Amino acid sequence: MPDGFDKDVYPVPPRRTPAVEKQTGLPNPAEILIKLFQYTVDVPVTTFRDWVERQHERNRFFYYQQKFRRVPDLTECKLGDHLCNYEAEMQWRRDHKVDQEIVKVIKERLGACQQREGNSYLQNCDKEMNQFRQVSKAYQSRYGDLGAYGSAQKCLMKQKHRMIAERKEATAAED
Amino acid sequence: MVGMSVLRVAAGFAARLNPLKQGFSNGRLLTRTIPKTESAAVRYGSHGKQMFVFKPSDYYDRRFLHLLKYYILLTGIPVAAIITYINVFIGEAELAEIPENYVPEHWEYYKHPITRWIARNLYDPPEKNYEKMMALIEIESEKAEMRRTQMDVRKLMREKGDGPWYHYETMDKSLIDYSPKSTPDN
Repeated sequence: MPDGFDKDVYPVPPRRTPAVEKQTGLPNPAEILIKLFQYTVDVPVTTFRDWVERQHERNRFFYYQQKFRRVPDLTECKLGDHLCNYEAEMQWRRDHKVDQEIVKVIKERLGACQQREGNSYLQNCDKEMNQFRQVSKAYQSRYGDLGAYGSAQKCLMKQKHRMIAERKEATAAED
Repeated sequence: MVGMSVLRVAAGFAARLNPLKQGFSNGRLLTRTIPKTESAAVRYGSHGKQMFVFKPSDYYDRRFLHLLKYYILLTGIPVAAIITYINVFIGEAELAEIPENYVPEHWEYYKHPITRWIARNLYDPPEKNYEKMMALIEIESEKAEMRRTQMDVRKLMREKGDGPWYHYETMDKSLIDYSPKSTPDN
């Protein structure tokens, strides 16, 4: 987050530092304290961190994001095919984890927006608010209330009931 | 009383002046305890500093704490030193895109060097776990399938009676000797 963040998603607010109009000859105590903090804490810590980074530069190694192949869904598995069931279940679990992380990211964006806007967050954070509402509603309708032992099969059954309820609503709306 | 204190001061002064003189230390009750007036230990019965403090034994508590610190630091300090060395001199991995035509090893998906080492040397790759689970599922499903077919076959053979099960072998009919009953007058 300190360096490599997306400037579109987390926009940097405009600076509001006022122009200095000094009217006294006395030194500004705030500046003195800032300088004091800088030289006693900031500079040693930064030099140590830079030294540590230089040690890290000497042998760099990388880690990657694992890409999993898509396997047939639970809907495409035959009835007694337990292997297909297992692979579909594992894929569902990975997708569930990914969706949890997505919700966390959207929540973090909303928090960042609130922090950025300060007291006027209610009217300025509309986009993030709507996005969060949409995403959390979708997550709730798909994964919510499955419980601790939620599985791909239970999620599928939940979807089935949801579709039945929608169809019933649609026919009731027609009549 | 005042006369006694004056006498004591005079005797002390005299004793200080001539400490080796025999006459001063013999039978001088008043001077015997006062070689030097300024370094005398004065004990109060009420508000002074305690000379002899009564408190319960803290030997066992101090021994316990000492041993606790000793045994914790015995492995704690080497572990802390090793982890600090690894974090400072080896450092964490950086996130990168997977290069073309390269399949990373299973430990190259972790960030911290110690996690990578554990994944490389101590743990099985997750693909192996997956395959093991799939093998178990395959064996169990085959067993269930076989048991189900056996049950069906048994039911059908018992019902219809035309299969190899549920019938007992009888002897060949050509071996039967009809000679005792072949003629009516035997």
